[in-house]
Amino acid sequence: MVADGAPGQREGGMKLPLKARARGMSCCLVCHQLVTMPAGGDPRHCPRCGARVHTRIDGSLMVTWALVITGTLLLLPANILPVMTVIYLGSGEPSTIISGVMQLYHAGLWGIALIVFVASIAVPVMKLLGLIILLIQIQLRVPLIPLQAMKLYRVVSGIGRWSLLDLFMISILVALVDMGAIAQVTAGPGSTAFATVVVVTMTAARSFDPRLIWDAYDERRAAVHEERDTRAQEQQRGAPGNA
Amino acid sequence: MDQGQHRRRKTWQRACHECDLLLLDAVAPPGQKLVCPRCNATLHRNPKNSVHYTAALSLTGLLLFVPAATLPLLHFSIFAFGGENTLFNGVMSLFDAGYYWLSSLVLFCSVIAPLAKFLLLTFICWGSAWALLDRPVGLAVRWYQHLKEWGMLDVYMLGVLVALVKMSDLGKMEVGPGLYCFAAMMLVANLTTLSFDQESIWSRMARRASGKVA
Repeated sequence: MVADGAPGQREGGMKLPLKARARGMSCCLVCHQLVTMPAGGDPRHCPRCGARVHTRIDGSLMVTWALVITGTLLLLPANILPVMTVIYLGSGEPSTIISGVMQLYHAGLWGIALIVFVASIAVPVMKLLGLIILLIQIQLRVPLIPLQAMKLYRVVSGIGRWSLLDLFMISILVALVDMGAIAQVTAGPGSTAFATVVVVTMTAARSFDPRLIWDAYDERRAAVHEERDTRAQEQQRGAPGNA
Repeated sequence: MDQGQHRRRKTWQRACHECDLLLLDAVAPPGQKLVCPRCNATLHRNPKNSVHYTAALSLTGLLLFVPAATLPLLHFSIFAFGGENTLFNGVMSLFDAGYYWLSSLVLFCSVIAPLAKFLLLTFICWGSAWALLDRPVGLAVRWYQHLKEWGMLDVYMLGVLVALVKMSDLGKMEVGPGLYCFAAMMLVANLTTLSFDQESIWSRMARRASGKVA
């Protein structure tokens, strides 16, 4: 059932698994067709679906950094500015995302409060943090466990959509509770910033290329092997002289 | 056998899209899935009768979309005053209040993307039977892959439930008939995503192309 793994080991003295890039091929990210790339690393169009195929997503790390920084900056207005105002019988004040969660908690609806907290506070923050961790692990010489990094990547790219929950709720309430002086819900400027945070973080996760995790890992492992080989050679060379 | 293995070794079939490992297997056996031995990514799921199920499910989704979008989802009332919520009027009131970007995002994720997903899948599944439509179907599959994660019916559903609980102590909250259709549409949308396998569409087109040449 499981595909033929690590064929590189059977193909001679290579220690690292064989990757498509080493063979001048690449996987189309849209239709998953194996495509032979032109020499020189240029992009080409997938013969099956017509999408552009790059060996690695073009400028992946740079674009992801840019979007992550944008998202982090936008998180401030999204949390400081009010996202909606509930006016009931003439009284009511603007509430931010956090104060909305606190209101729900104090009203005894802790289950709903937890859902809203996870969706609109924990998920965006965790997503940005996760992407920053991945980017740092690739770019700096920080210990990198690829399977753990992949798990993080999958969580980060899977949960992002749930943070739109709060905005959907606002759009429902705005239409539902519109009775003039008795009760009214209006949206606040923070919701625009929050919507942008969600879109930016979703695009950031899309522009991150997980294959770079494995590139960095393989590179470091190859360096370790090389170092060990040269040390062994030096010892061999040094041994007769010492004796 | 030795020779066969030698020949097989040279024909790489697939590269993992998450770790770039070259693999000798391209597709999973029917009803099973293919997992990357290095990074555990799901490379291919092969649901049985993918095209037929997807065609039927996406058509069901399109039919359910009509009542889900036109009937009220929730009904809220305080004393004699009441308000209704449909898929569109929330977007409309946000738009009227000047939140253009927010309202278009909500419209896109809750109406346009799910509807486009159903339409594209219906077109892909029915259109892949004709050689004449090969190019548009290929384009539709590409579009579908890009749109996939922006259809957020399940998130909207959770939003409805949170709104329902949050406002229930302020006034009287009633579930409208549209909500049942909406819930059914959400279920069908998720089932459609699960049953659709683009590999079966590509292989259907490739089989026809090779048949014509031979």
